Order: sequence, then structure tokens, then C-alpha cells
Amino acid sequence: MAATPLLELNGINKGFGPVQVLHDVNLSVYPGEVTALVGDNGAGKSTMVKCISGIYQIDSGTVTFEGNQVAIHGPSDASALGIEVVYQDLALCDNLDVVQNMFLGREKKRGIVLDEPTMEQMAGDALASLSVRTLKSLRQLVASLSGGQRQTVAIAKAVLWNSKVVILDEPTAALGVAQTAQVLELVRRLADNGLGVVLISHNMNDVFAVSDRIAALYLGRMAAQVKTTDVTHSQVVELITGGRSGNIGLPPEKPADFGGDVVDITPGGDK
Amino acid sequence: MRAGPSQEEVRRHNLGTLLRYVHVHGATSRAELTNRLGLNRSTIGALTADLTTAGLVTEAAPRETGRAGRPSLVVRPESSKVYAYALSIEVDRLRAARVGLGGRILDRRETDRPRGMQVLDAVQPLAGFVHEMRADVPGDARYVGTGVAVAGMVRRADGMVRLAPTIGWVEEPVGAALRAELGDVGKLTLGNHADVSALVEHSRGAAAGCDNVIYLYGDVGVGAGIIADGRRVAGHGGYGGEVGHMVVNPYGRECSCGSRGCWETEIGEYALLKHAGRGELTGREAVLGVVEAAMRGDSQAQFAVRQVGEWIGFGVGNLVNIFNPESVIFGGTLRDVYLVAAAQIRSRLTAIALPACREHIRLRTPELGTDAALIGAAELAFEHLLEDPLLN
Repeated sequence: MAATPLLELNGINKGFGPVQVLHDVNLSVYPGEVTALVGDNGAGKSTMVKCISGIYQIDSGTVTFEGNQVAIHGPSDASALGIEVVYQDLALCDNLDVVQNMFLGREKKRGIVLDEPTMEQMAGDALASLSVRTLKSLRQLVASLSGGQRQTVAIAKAVLWNSKVVILDEPTAALGVAQTAQVLELVRRLADNGLGVVLISHNMNDVFAVSDRIAALYLGRMAAQVKTTDVTHSQVVELITGGRSGNIGLPPEKPADFGGDVVDITPGGDK
Repeated sequence: MRAGPSQEEVRRHNLGTLLRYVHVHGATSRAELTNRLGLNRSTIGALTADLTTAGLVTEAAPRETGRAGRPSLVVRPESSKVYAYALSIEVDRLRAARVGLGGRILDRRETDRPRGMQVLDAVQPLAGFVHEMRADVPGDARYVGTGVAVAGMVRRADGMVRLAPTIGWVEEPVGAALRAELGDVGKLTLGNHADVSALVEHSRGAAAGCDNVIYLYGDVGVGAGIIADGRRVAGHGGYGGEVGHMVVNPYGRECSCGSRGCWETEIGEYALLKHAGRGELTGREAVLGVVEAAMRGDSQAQFAVRQVGEWIGFGVGNLVNIFNPESVIFGGTLRDVYLVAAAQIRSRLTAIALPACREHIRLRTPELGTDAALIGAAELAFEHLLEDPLLN
């Protein structure tokens, strides 16, 4: 468990017109760890991911990647840094095969023609590095794959580019039981291979099964970022639904008044 | 007093180390072997030459590396030529496989095992599988030995299986029976199912690189393979690791071992099915059925999974306090229960385990899945070869 975060967000603010969605949000993503990003609907999870991936521009705050402050102005900046996002809808093309999907828009070329052997080799290696054995052929059309296999391809696509941070948005939603288990193991393996993984999930079991840290968003604020070994299920649920649990989480005072001053909270005293 | 190891002993040790490295890590270039083993290049060259002559490894030029300079030769284990038979006696099934050096399964057979089947009846189908597989072995292949993984307590010295309550044996000479049935079997080694699985996950699976590991295997009962400081914790007679029989609830249900409230009476198959209101069912499929129902939202099944999850966390918390492992692996049906009850397991673990003992804990599912027992059984047989590659 490395001590320095791979990706660090500090004091991120983001608003859409009059609506302030993210307030002074901090997040640290460590290499070799799965950081679960949890929060109720509308807490700002997706907005935050879109800020990291360059789809939205942040209003203020800093992003630090591998110790250097960076500015992410667009999706290509994020992928150049090694940040990949696997969206809920997977963004795969049904009419293309596995290799074509994995290289879509970033095809390898030899002269003016596509370098198919190299792409196939790289796709195969990426899948092998994740111990994926469920795919029969790399030249299968994605249309013929099951939900779990599609998720696998989408994740493998994300690791193909020497990515350092992979963000997964609800990867197990809409999957069967056996496939959920496989995808969870895959998420874990990504981190065990040294990547920093951010897992967005509503399912507490998924979160507890694979995460090392849990970051709970509550109404656009980071309620707490805690180690999974230090919290219980009910504490995390309290953080999600109320923003705090015992002495962790947001201060009990009116959050609007909280302007960065130190607030003393007695452990257990607010019950 | 004896002088240091002779040149011959050093050489034998180095041969074993090199072979073990490619056996566990697969094809490796000479250059990398030089780095990893800390031997000089010419020694590595001489050792691989010896192993090649003995037919244990092959050397070939690697695929195009794209780098300048003469590429280093890649050493691979002779997986298709050097093999062992691996047999696995489990509660619900009997499995046999032919496993090549490097841990590759070349051929496999499987059959169901009715509950309460006697030892002699288990040995015969397994021997049948071996005879079947033997017919397909290429003529130039080399047989190393046979390893057997038994879901029960095994005396390693002679293969006596003692009190395997979940399978219903009391004291059965499985080793002797197999030897009689298989005829010319060479080296035959028996081990506990959870122990051999733990060794494999430790050497090449989910716990690679961790020196303190607890591998829990669940079916009807629960067993553990415990690795502390890189070594298996076997105990005086080799029977250690029976965590399923640690008493967690003195007022609990009676256990098949005769005691009351053993951990497996709270987290085993029977407890889960009973909580789910499916007490009349047995077997792996029934357990997976409850897990599936819980994920689909069946409240009774969810209750069962939560209840069992709490108890799993309770026991794991105790084990974590005692052994301070880096990694706890949930195998067998516990894998599926873990993935659906992780919130309860983790929460209970957090409540019970001491902060210092649990802070670096990694909870994992097996990487080799159900193959771990077969590869582990083969590992028992390969162990003799790895100790002295040029013998026999």
C-alpha cells in the first residue's frame, strides 16, 4: 500500500449555472488499491467522474497526478495521463469485433494499413494479464457476447493503454450472479496489478468485497474517505444517507457555515 | 562436524531452484533468471543445459522483442512431456487430472460422489480415470508421481485418512487402497484439500508474494490451509488447520464431529440452507441457489446470507487476531458467499479484529478457482522432482 496517491483531487468545485454540484471535494486514489466512490443518487458521483475524465471542466480546485499538478481540459488530456473510464453503458460497438472495439479510434497502423497482428496480440495480452478465460475468440462480434463478457472487454480496453487509473461506473449493475462475481474479481485484479481503481457502486457488498478505501459523497460534499478495514456496513450507510457517522463524516453544524475552520467533534458526542 | 555443502549439493539445490522458478512462473528468459536467482550467466546456462538434457525444460528464441542486441533464450517447462496425476476426493465429487510441469492441466475427468460413499468406492472410479487417461499419454512423456487431495485429515506419512467427518470416514487407509488399485504408481503423496489449495494460491495464485495466508475452503464443512512466514502450518501430526471445528457458539447446533457449536455449524452448507428455509436440500448447487436468490432480492435468502456472513466475519476476525495474515482467501462455496455477504463479513471483522492485526488484511477470492485442488495435488507429486531434478 503506497503512501503517495496516484491521483489527488483537492477542493474541487463544480456548478452548472445556479446549481452548485460539487463543494470543495477531495479525493485520493492510490496505486494498487480500489477506492470505492459511494453516494446516493444526485450526490455528485457522476459529475466528479466527468470532471476527472475531462468531460466537464472544474470551476476551481487542483488535480494532482503522480505528484504533479495537471490541468485536464478534455478527454484526450485524461487519457494522455493514463486515466480511463468504463461507463455504465460500456460504449462498445455491437457491429465490431473484440479487437476492433478495444482499439476503436486509436488503431495501430503500419504505413497506411492497419496493423491487425499487433492489435490482436496486444488485445490478447491485455485479456491474459487479467486472467480472462471466458472469451472464445478475439474476432467475435461484440453483439454475440453476454453482459459479463462485454463488461470484461470494456475493462480490458481500459487497461490496454498503459493506463494508471481506471474508473468503473457501476460495473456490476445489470449483470447475472456468476458474471457479477467474475467482474468483481476482475476489478480486484486490476488493482492487484498495480493500477489505481475507482469503483462507483450502489451495492454495499460489491464495495466491501473489493475496495480498500471508501469515499462517500453526500449532497456534493465528500463526507469521508476511510479505509475499508476501519468501517462497518452501517457506518457507510450512515455516511451515504446522512453525511456522517459517529465522529467521521461532515460536521454536524450547518454545513453552509463551514468555511474551512477547524471544527472540534467529540467522538460519539453527537449521538 | 561436517563441512559446508558439497559442490554436488549446491548444484542440485540450484537445479531445483531454477526448475521451481520456471515451474511456478512459466516461461522465463535466461536474462531474467540470472536476475531473479542471483546466479551468474554461465551458471544459468549450464543448469538449463542439464535440465534440457534431462527433458525437463526446453529453450527457444523468444518472439521478436523489438529491442537491440541478441535476445536471451527463453526457458520453458516441458509441460506436455513431464506430468503427474492429480486426484481429488471432495465431498460432492471425485476428480482426476493429468497435470504437466508448470501446473498445466492436460487432461481431466470428473464424477459426482454421492454423500456417504465409502472409501473403497471412491478409490475405484479414481483409479479408473487414471487408467483411462494413461491410454492417451504420448510415448515419450515422463511420469513423475501421483498426488491426492482429500477433504479430510490426512497423515502424510502413509496416506491414512482420519476422521473426515464431512465425508463420513473414520480411519481409512486411502493411500494403501489407491496403491493397490493403481498398481505401479511410483510415488504417491496425500494431502489435505485446503492445505494443497493454499500452497498453490500462495505460489502462483491470489496470494502470490504474501507470506502469511489463510485459505478457507468451504463446502459442508470448513477447512483451512494456513501459511505462516511462507511455511505451511501443519501441526505435530499434520492435522492442523481444522478451523471449521473451532467452537464459536457453545450453545449452538451439534456438529458431525461430536462437539457443539463448531464454526462450520454456523457457516457451512447446512446452516445457510436451513436459514434460507431450504433445509431439505444439500450440495453445492443448493448453496449457489441461495446466493443467487439473495442477489435477486429474495428476503429469506438474504437473511440467510447475512446471518452466515456475520458468523464468517466472527471466525475470520478471530483467525486474523491469531495469525495476523496479509491475505485471507475464500475458496469453495465460501467464495460465492463472500461476494454476496462481504458487507457483513467485513463489518464483523472490523468489529472483532484488532486494528493492528487487520490493517493490511486483504480479503480475496481464489485465482485458480476449483483447479487449485488439482494443481495442488500435482504439486505434491512434483515436489519430489523439484527437490532433486536429476534423480530417477
